[in-house]
Amino acid sequence: MREAIEVKDLYFSYNGEKFVLRGINMSVRKGEVVAIMGENGAGKTTLIKHFNGLLKPLKGYVRVLGKDTKEESVATLSRYVGMVFQNPDHQLFGETVEKEVEFALRNLGFEDDVVKRRVKWALKLMELDEYRDRSPYTLSVGEKKRLTIASVLAYDPEIIVMDEPTAGQDALQKEKIAEIGKLLKHRKKTVIIVTHDVEFVARRVDRVILMADGQVIAEGDKRDVLTDLELLDKARLIPPQIPHIAWLLNKEGLIDNYKVIHVDELVRILVNLMK
Amino acid sequence: MELEALSFKYSGEERLALNNVSLRAKAGEYILLTGPSGCGKSTLARVLIGLIPHFYSGELNGKAIVAGYDIMRTPTYVLAKHVGLVFQDPENQLFLSNVEREIAFGLENIGLSAREIGRRVMKTMKELNIYHLKDKAPYELSGGQQQKVAIASVLAMEPEILILDEPTANLDPRSADEILGLIHSLVREKGILAILIEHRLELAAKYVSRIIIMNEGSIIADGDPRNVLLNPKANIIGVPNVVTLSRRMCETGIKLNKIPLTPHEFVSAVRSLVKNYERSYRS
Amino acid sequence: MSLLEGFRFRRKRTPLHSLDPRVKFMIAIDYTILSLWFIEVIPLFMILLSTLVLVIIAKSLGEWKRTMKGILPFLLLIFGINFISIGEDRLNYSLSMTLRFASLTSAFSVFFLTTTPDELALAMESSGIPRDYSLMFTMALRFVPTLSRDLQIIMDALKSRGFELEKGNVVARLRNYAYILVPLIIYEIRRSLMIAEALEARGYGATRKVDSPYKLAMRRKDYTVLTLSTTMTILILTSKIVGALPPWIYLKLPEPL
Repeated sequence: MREAIEVKDLYFSYNGEKFVLRGINMSVRKGEVVAIMGENGAGKTTLIKHFNGLLKPLKGYVRVLGKDTKEESVATLSRYVGMVFQNPDHQLFGETVEKEVEFALRNLGFEDDVVKRRVKWALKLMELDEYRDRSPYTLSVGEKKRLTIASVLAYDPEIIVMDEPTAGQDALQKEKIAEIGKLLKHRKKTVIIVTHDVEFVARRVDRVILMADGQVIAEGDKRDVLTDLELLDKARLIPPQIPHIAWLLNKEGLIDNYKVIHVDELVRILVNLMK
Repeated sequence: MELEALSFKYSGEERLALNNVSLRAKAGEYILLTGPSGCGKSTLARVLIGLIPHFYSGELNGKAIVAGYDIMRTPTYVLAKHVGLVFQDPENQLFLSNVEREIAFGLENIGLSAREIGRRVMKTMKELNIYHLKDKAPYELSGGQQQKVAIASVLAMEPEILILDEPTANLDPRSADEILGLIHSLVREKGILAILIEHRLELAAKYVSRIIIMNEGSIIADGDPRNVLLNPKANIIGVPNVVTLSRRMCETGIKLNKIPLTPHEFVSAVRSLVKNYERSYRS
Repeated sequence: MSLLEGFRFRRKRTPLHSLDPRVKFMIAIDYTILSLWFIEVIPLFMILLSTLVLVIIAKSLGEWKRTMKGILPFLLLIFGINFISIGEDRLNYSLSMTLRFASLTSAFSVFFLTTTPDELALAMESSGIPRDYSLMFTMALRFVPTLSRDLQIIMDALKSRGFELEKGNVVARLRNYAYILVPLIIYEIRRSLMIAEALEARGYGATRKVDSPYKLAMRRKDYTVLTLSTTMTILILTSKIVGALPPWIYLKLPEPL
């Protein structure tokens, strides 16, 4: 089974009146890094809450590693799907940083020695070792964010979902999050990032799924989606600057290839143009 | 406003949140204040409206004159008539269950007559194009709408200085751009001084007239956006890709006549460069 | 929380919705007085029925039914406890207490269903309560949906860490709720600090006397309804005192042995 997550004909409504998800079809292969993008209100957060069973489909199904989410509890699915929510302050449950990272491991019934080992590893990875005995509430915003990620990575789920990991973060913090993404990919984890940060996605993601009004309006390689300005417009997103420039240059007839994502690529193309 | 050798330490903390900050700004400027988390920009914003030292305790030294008032000797509610501060989370700035009354709230606080309050509320709602939201409660509004209402509530007080502390943090790019552009038109039309604290430079840089970068409590760069963004000190912030691109091209010998801040500016610059080359080639 | 449905305002256009909130509040108070004034089953039943009439005028039958269903356990509890502990007239007395509670709930439900949170605020401000207090109450109401959203997010985050709220005995479950309450309380305390800061920045505290263009003004319709309801209430109260009520009012149900 290559699919980590499979969603078919998913319909969902919170109050029975308005449908927030209207016929979603999508899948995520194991080991992929996928970005789900769209404006606020498109249904992205509602969609990912189906991945660990917090929400159950009204119509259609969601399969996580082959299991139908309607038949599993959140506790069971959480074993395979680690979810990092947007606001760290909603996710601090331990008296100390160490206990915080232990929390999920203990809930899921891991043995003591495994717990200790994993906690040590996660703290070191997220550079939170020195704060081990401090209260989570004394950490800075960036440190709290790393802590929530550490708490989820500690129990090593196969699929990691992050909701707006870069919202409100400064440039250095975003770099750190990008590094984490790279690390997860290296460990062959499946990573799903919900975001509207187009610049971040341009650098760190394999595939992009675009949502608008509760539906998937496009999905594909990031090079295809992020350079299609009409599509991004439909999703009410502002294109990343480099593809935008390439598209404009292409329209002027100055360059041929407009599927450019990185600064280096465009520099090369423009240097050639000037020659 | 005029700040000179301003230093501040929060009570109970050891390091200086503001370290010898000196700054002058006048009406009509649209200043982007940026820097890594913890650099002191939010602290600075709070000094400008007097929340420091009157709401937050700590040691404040130096000189701070804002809208003609000495911050250290003027209570916040007096400063609030001249300095408006819009915070990051709109949820915590909308106190009432009704947009129209929310906008009136600040005006009631500063003791205006009912007639004047009514007039200003109507004017502000029309200016910001939110009249159609006037009877809604906060939970019936989107994030972008909420932030607009928060800005309206502060603008209705007709301050000379408007400060916004990461107003777009929870907004998607379109709504964020709308808000940043809105402030730009307000500066142009009303001649206020606007100070925007923001991380998303790719959205904000094109609107502002001046960029100030802070780090660890001090100002490390201050000037025209195009110059500041090229300054190596700007490496600690998220320099927009279009600027990075221009800088790299400069390094390979291709110089653009002006550092562009938007994709369109870049393409115009390239276009004129190509024309120049063609012209010189022909001749 | 379907119980609370009957207390949540819905935007509708009915004569009751457009009535001044202070008058509606007085009507709810009148009902309170009347329900406490009578101990007999039949009058109390008539009082309950009359609130139902108001509910129908307010086109809020659906929400009202949900609340009445929600308080059913309380009604049964009241009936049960009274039935067991009272000696004489136990059936009638228990029934009366139950009807009384139902009428009170119903009357106040009408008030809350037809009054916006904002009108509540205005009503308080226009009734002489100091601004600080009415603002406190208004803001508490305004943040209820916000708090409930925060609560939901925290519960979602807990569940996502493999935490099972409903597991274990009563003691364990109570301890489980601590895991929700601690982050929630800390979060809301932080929030209230941010709100306080924003209030300062909005010039709060500058003046005590506020000249607001949004003060409630009573219209002729409001005075009419107020006069009518007050008069009727006084009439009913005095007719009991002077004994002018018909004898069937005092009829009792047959008591089981």
